[in-house]
Amino acid sequence: MQYFGPTDVFGFGQLRDVWRSRELLYSFFLRDLLIRYRQVVIGMLWVLLQPLIGVGIFMGLFFVLETNATSPNVAYAPVVLTGMLCWQLVSNSFRDATGSLVNYRHVVTKIYFPRLLLPLASLLCASFDFAMGSLLIPIVCWFSQTPIVWSTVWLAIPIMLWLILFCAGCIAWLSSLNAHYRDVGYALPFALQLGMFVSPVVYDIHRLQHVLTSRWVWLYEANPIATCIGLLRWAMIGTPMPTAAGMGCALVITVVVCVSGLAWFQRADQQLADRI
Amino acid sequence: MNLDAIHLEHVSKRFRLGAAHDYGRLTEAVAAKVRGLFASKRTNKRAESINPTTPGQIVVPNAVAGQPNTVAGQMEDDWFWALRDVNLTVKTGEIVGLVGRNGAGKSTLLKILSRIVSPTEGRVGVRGRVGSLLEVGTGFHPELTGRENVFLNGAILGMSRADIRRRFDEIVAFAEIDSFLDTPVKRYSSGMAVRLAFAVAAHLEPDVLIIDEVLSVGDQAFQRKCLGKASQLGDQGRTILLVSHNLSAVANFCRRAILMQNGCVIADGQPDFIIDRYLMDSNAGAGEVIWTDDATAPRTKGIRLRSVAARGNGTSQPLGELDIDQPIEITVDYEVLQPQEKVSVQIQLKDETGTFVLWSANAPSMNSGDDPWFAQPHSPGLYRSRCRLPANFLNDTRYFVSVLIGESIGAPALRQDSALSFLVHDTGAMRREFTGSWVGPVIRPRLDWCTTQIPSGPDSKGA
Repeated sequence: MQYFGPTDVFGFGQLRDVWRSRELLYSFFLRDLLIRYRQVVIGMLWVLLQPLIGVGIFMGLFFVLETNATSPNVAYAPVVLTGMLCWQLVSNSFRDATGSLVNYRHVVTKIYFPRLLLPLASLLCASFDFAMGSLLIPIVCWFSQTPIVWSTVWLAIPIMLWLILFCAGCIAWLSSLNAHYRDVGYALPFALQLGMFVSPVVYDIHRLQHVLTSRWVWLYEANPIATCIGLLRWAMIGTPMPTAAGMGCALVITVVVCVSGLAWFQRADQQLADRI
Repeated sequence: MNLDAIHLEHVSKRFRLGAAHDYGRLTEAVAAKVRGLFASKRTNKRAESINPTTPGQIVVPNAVAGQPNTVAGQMEDDWFWALRDVNLTVKTGEIVGLVGRNGAGKSTLLKILSRIVSPTEGRVGVRGRVGSLLEVGTGFHPELTGRENVFLNGAILGMSRADIRRRFDEIVAFAEIDSFLDTPVKRYSSGMAVRLAFAVAAHLEPDVLIIDEVLSVGDQAFQRKCLGKASQLGDQGRTILLVSHNLSAVANFCRRAILMQNGCVIADGQPDFIIDRYLMDSNAGAGEVIWTDDATAPRTKGIRLRSVAARGNGTSQPLGELDIDQPIEITVDYEVLQPQEKVSVQIQLKDETGTFVLWSANAPSMNSGDDPWFAQPHSPGLYRSRCRLPANFLNDTRYFVSVLIGESIGAPALRQDSALSFLVHDTGAMRREFTGSWVGPVIRPRLDWCTTQIPSGPDSKGA
């Protein structure tokens, strides 16, 4: 006899449930992937086109403004591409996951499965896009004559896992909060817009050096998104690494967001069908 | 094999009434938190009651008898108790039917058992994998093809991909849609989509199956197929919990029934007993329409309609749900307002689809008895015309009674369409032979049938 309900305060039991339902997670992921490119002429090519268009826009913008978004000796294209890819991972997963529970209200109120699967499927989808888009990096590097640092490039994988983990913690919060308070969905686009500029998406961290000075740079890098983007660029094209203090803060924040997100999600899950 | 499959312990569920305090907005939540700091905590006074129920007997717990037997009894400030202290144990392999009126808490109970909502109090345990069918086609996506939807829906219902792959051909054959398998579901007819959804659901093989009224969708042949499939699962020793308004399905399909009322289990036992009890309980007051206000009552210059009622044989209580193997009495009470008024009474019966079933009057040509008052001058006062429909005559469906009163049959001055409706149930002999709805015929009289063997010897050849 298995009794329903939470088994622990932190909601770690949910992870076990998610693992048990991994096939359903795959089904949700496949569904999200399939329906996204139904009735679309160029289909999956959008995955590559979206970051490229972003790169084009910002290259054009900074060209017109006659200013550099990077340190003088670094090509702009690979910098902005890695930034755009990471940012699309964050913004797409946040956007889709926040709406996931509410959009599938009719499923959530009719049948039980670990509800964490729905936002996680959105995250998987965004990660898939990132993986596809990252194929562009060597091409863009070749065009802009930036050598790839082969000795550290493998570190891109743990770095991205870190970013994905941080996103998972955030979407656990966002999706369940949105199910109770729809305000979250309305506020999110503005938060994302702001987030894009406080993270080094279209510029290099080192361009901010004179503003932040070495005293405040750790605060800027406490944002795990900023740290991950900085680390990814370091691993790929050899730009300077984020500071140790910044990375430490970002790591602590990631852990806090993930653990609290899991615990909160479990709490919210108890009342989800009543309140959604 | 006699392990408990489902166990509910003091399970209660309450919902907040009204949208004003829905906490749909962050500001409200914050405001309420602030208010909460100043207000003293309201304690929740609730009668402690434990009513264990055992199968095989009808139990009327004291707690229910003590509570007001109305919906108001479930209200508490802004809260509504959808379930109150439900205790229930179901053994593996039992097939249990849940009956009760709308709002009795059946669906809430199923939702708690299928883990969709959490109980406010108490705990719920289930042994094995639970499959719940509260709706068919949960998660169907119109943009996906039939094939993709089978995999998605199957996964949502709890089947593994290997399971689905193994049974895929069976599912497609069951749904009868093989040529549309790679067409997006949005281009399906609604019937096809429902069939496909059913097919997936029918191939679910959980340890505990929870079904809510889903069998009432889909066409007849399909319903029969599904019931057949469900009883197959039952034969395999799986536990099934079923909510249905189709009492005949409960009577024949289930081996145990549970009657719920106002959020409590009020009876638990043999399906036949429980259904009788339900019909008795749930219909007090129904089955009769009374016009108490003289101003609004249907009337002509000389006649005013008082009431229309349906009764089972020999009971004085009007009933909204009647048994097919009992004669049914329909009575029309009317008041004659002026002297020398000539009155004839007619009734018309239509079924749910509007099919005209019968038309009868108290005229000698339509009367097997004799009505001395037919078309005779009435003196002012109250009159009652009674029409008796024989037992085993109507089908098991809902009927609507229209009343026509006037001086002569051809020109009724007063006409009250669908004045009354009643439901005929078949829980009797026929159901032992056949489950499902006997759809099609308008009436279903019991006729005289006999089969004999015709002797065929060599001598009869030349004849």
